[in-house]
Amino acid sequence: MSVTDLSNVLKPVSQARGLPNDHYISDEVFASERDAVLFDTWAGLTVGARLPEPGDAVPVTFLGLPLVAVRGKDGGIRVFQNTCRHRGMILVEKPGKVGNVIRCPYHSWCYSLDGNLVTTPHVGGPGQNTHDEIDRATLGLIEIRSHVWRDVVFVNVSGTAPAFEDYAADVIARWAEFEKPLYHGGPESRFQFDVACNWKLAVENYCESYHLPWVHPGLNSYSRLEDHYNIEAPGRFSGQGTLVYRPTLSEDGRNFPDFEGLSEQWDAGAEYLAFYPNVLFGVHRDHAYAILLEPVAKDHTIEHVEIYYAAPEVAWPEWEDLRQTNAKMWYGVFEEDVFVVEGMQRGRHGVYFDGGKFSPAMDGPTHCFHAWVAERLQPPAAAAE
Amino acid sequence: MALVTLYAEAAAQADAQEDRDRAAFFLTHAYVFALEAGDARAKQFHARLKSWGREE
Repeated sequence: MSVTDLSNVLKPVSQARGLPNDHYISDEVFASERDAVLFDTWAGLTVGARLPEPGDAVPVTFLGLPLVAVRGKDGGIRVFQNTCRHRGMILVEKPGKVGNVIRCPYHSWCYSLDGNLVTTPHVGGPGQNTHDEIDRATLGLIEIRSHVWRDVVFVNVSGTAPAFEDYAADVIARWAEFEKPLYHGGPESRFQFDVACNWKLAVENYCESYHLPWVHPGLNSYSRLEDHYNIEAPGRFSGQGTLVYRPTLSEDGRNFPDFEGLSEQWDAGAEYLAFYPNVLFGVHRDHAYAILLEPVAKDHTIEHVEIYYAAPEVAWPEWEDLRQTNAKMWYGVFEEDVFVVEGMQRGRHGVYFDGGKFSPAMDGPTHCFHAWVAERLQPPAAAAE
Repeated sequence: MALVTLYAEAAAQADAQEDRDRAAFFLTHAYVFALEAGDARAKQFHARLKSWGREE
């Protein structure tokens, strides 16, 4: 467990300091956070759009843990440890179709798409596929607890988190109007950034609007700082909202279809939430996105961006120009953030940095996240000791 | 699928020669590849292996 003193982080934002440097540059603390912050909670692993059909599988090495997401014949997605129960061989090496079963490439033990061990070729000798000591019923793939929401495949690796519906109840309620089918925009609506920073810095930057006029000056022409508001749900999520969202238009004046049944709040409103720990969501009346932060190392994160629309026809060729315009716009915005998160990472090697002084007015969402991390690492009962 | 057919033929030949072990070996391969490919023959291969006491 982390050995850093987090008492200052847990103070009210006006008196608090941010997480100490070790939370960004120490392998030991990275390991503590892996367990308490990412494995014990519901973390984003991949998205359903990457495995659209039964028999599709996506392997993901999540914080060193080999996992594979598989779409079953029933259309549901399950996540398994990507390790054969026989000799521990990696089962699925690359995304794609595994077929009707997952066949280990080593000795061809085969697992159904829902994880059951189906056959064990030659396990009792040549041409003998059974053995008294091989109980297939106890040798299925190890399933990792998972749940799909807004097309994001969440995993609770430790199996100890509350049910997802309880864990996410507040954000589900907040965005109840957006509980609609999502349609991925296709190849140009998926891109990623490989950034040299701790994953938390991407969360911290995402959930505050304070930096917008400086880092994203292009927004100043129509989306001023005062057009934004903070969102803070302690222990759950934080972020920002805007009151002046303007849909992207094509050259001939077309815009994307809106999600049906939205209230007028969303005519010009949009919200951007960091759903703890590692998924960044955005919703607008005509599109939404999810950014999955893949924590590769203490100072290395891959940001996976996936953009969705309200109607399936938006993925058709006639919308390609507008999809590209929208994707390019977001690519440009997120790219502008890279120097910031990488700069903050390098800044954490400043030995006299004390975690940082928050703006009580502007940094509430960031402090909200820091406090959540601190509570995960140092539960109140332990902190009081 | 060519591999399924080849192994099934090899199994049939071995079975015709009353070499049950060799037939079961080849049929196991036919079964595994049929299973993987979603080939409908997997069901009959499984049934035969089971009747030979080679499969559950």
